[in-house]
Amino acid sequence: MLELNSQNKPESSSKAIVAEHLCKVFNVTKGFLRRTRTRIIAVKDVSFEVDYGELFGLVGPNGAGKTTTIKMLTTMLIPTSGNATVLGYNVQKDITRVREKIGIVLGGERGLYTRVSAIDNLRYFADLYGVPPTIRDKRVKELLQFMGLWERARDRVETYSKGMKQRLHLARGLINDPQLIFLDEPTIGLDPEIAKDTRSMIRDLVRKGKTILLTTHYMFEADELCKRIAVIRGGEIVALDTPSGLKKYVMDTSVVEIEGFGITDKEVAKFREIPEVLAVSADLSENKQVLKIQTPKGSEIISEVQEILKNSRIYDLKTKEPTLEDAYLRLVEGSIK
Amino acid sequence: MPPQTLRVLYSAFRMAMLHWFADPQWVIPNVIAPFVFTFVALTLFKEASGSFGLYAVLGGGMMGMWGNTLYASGFAIDFERWQGTLEEVVAAPSNLLHVISGRSVSNALFGLTNMVAILLIAALAFRIPLGIANPILFALSIVLTLLSVSALGLIFASSFVLTRSAQVLTNGLEFPIYVISGSMFPIALLPFWVHPAAYILGPTWGIDAIRLATSPQYASQSFWAGTDVNVAIALNLAMTLLITLAYVAIAAFLFKKVETKSRREGTLVQA
Repeated sequence: MLELNSQNKPESSSKAIVAEHLCKVFNVTKGFLRRTRTRIIAVKDVSFEVDYGELFGLVGPNGAGKTTTIKMLTTMLIPTSGNATVLGYNVQKDITRVREKIGIVLGGERGLYTRVSAIDNLRYFADLYGVPPTIRDKRVKELLQFMGLWERARDRVETYSKGMKQRLHLARGLINDPQLIFLDEPTIGLDPEIAKDTRSMIRDLVRKGKTILLTTHYMFEADELCKRIAVIRGGEIVALDTPSGLKKYVMDTSVVEIEGFGITDKEVAKFREIPEVLAVSADLSENKQVLKIQTPKGSEIISEVQEILKNSRIYDLKTKEPTLEDAYLRLVEGSIK
Repeated sequence: MPPQTLRVLYSAFRMAMLHWFADPQWVIPNVIAPFVFTFVALTLFKEASGSFGLYAVLGGGMMGMWGNTLYASGFAIDFERWQGTLEEVVAAPSNLLHVISGRSVSNALFGLTNMVAILLIAALAFRIPLGIANPILFALSIVLTLLSVSALGLIFASSFVLTRSAQVLTNGLEFPIYVISGSMFPIALLPFWVHPAAYILGPTWGIDAIRLATSPQYASQSFWAGTDVNVAIALNLAMTLLITLAYVAIAAFLFKKVETKSRREGTLVQA
């Protein structure tokens, strides 16, 4: 049985993470003879706190500033301004102490030595994290067993499936028995079943007393896992609440959901022009397209919908209560101030 | 050295070795190129008198060692980038310099296998007399030169933390350093203004020690001509060690600087 430290005792702070007015600005220089400098504000005045043992979600669309925030908290980036402490240690001054105490799992298939075995990957990182030699091999075995990889532990990682690689990522993130784990989009690119397994493992870690900061752009995932969620848009936190608290943002609206075929971007744009429409999300990539329209008018808008989509095929059209995903959509589209 | 530092050095060394064995095609250009170079040199000048054979053989070996270290030390950073592990390695509490040092020594050691192969080919195929006069000092000189080459590779490796364009730097410097350090022919043959550059290269002194330990006849061409051979070797080794320590100090300073810069500018991954 995996014996990770289940007692998350605060080191010198009552909060696992304290971020105060974090900002990150990148200066991008282009050209050789005519050099132009562009200032990109990736994160702007981000503040939040995470309790010990909490699973805190940071959600937002691509490029919103989630990963930049995580990188500042994990000492990978130096903030342009603002302060942050992790487990009571300052991320700019106590770099080594912070690194010793945390685990980082970045999403995707990369980030592993694919030409060597899972055991060699974990042993290597155990040494880099200063795991005492007396417990290193025992912990490697326990982690691989916990992740269901022990049977294939000696095989090269390049022969692993996506899901196995993701589980190995998680094992690597736990190699130093961290008190606090940063999970950056851990289910991105995984098929639904593997993503479900990964979420189940994340829940297990919280049960073992770990504190987790999770970034994702899947709202249902944040809803299922997180105690509190911060929604980040354009580098700023636009809402921070419990999942049920966030749902209150859209209590005054209904969602008209349309399943159809042949819906174009131009038609989606027309919906956005209707004054009573607060947010529109469209998944037009599959054969069965799904369009969701948030509006306080509810079913009163159906005739307008049918008029705009007169050249498309509509399979189904229904009015629903808004979900957390609808709240998220309105927050990231900027119609909630 | 603290035990944790030694563990990191060993672990990085082991990981590099595992990758060499897992992907042997890497070894081929690094073994074949110096072998061919030595083969051509020995064939062209096999009638030449004096110590040309010795220069060609040891030069080919040095080329393999230096080429491997320079290429692979720099590549160590890019390798981590390609694998997507650079951030994970930097995020660990260990010093990045120790990680790359372990890899660098492993790469130089692989380069050393070239020298062994070349010595065997020269002795067996070309019948070049390679009786080593002082095997112990020869081995010691090889080890110190290996470490010196690794330390020089570390300085170049630091530039890869900032930008992947550093490959141009290593490609451009491979041959000049090979020539300036006197690997193939005595630096006395080079223009005078090149000499100061040769003297600040640790391998220059290491190669002089290797040659003296191999053949006492070389003494007249050594930096320390006129000095007792053993004293000259000791002086060369002391110089190699001193310069190597200076390289390590410079590399430590550069790694700290470039790591901070890359953390400030966010160039660790996309550089």
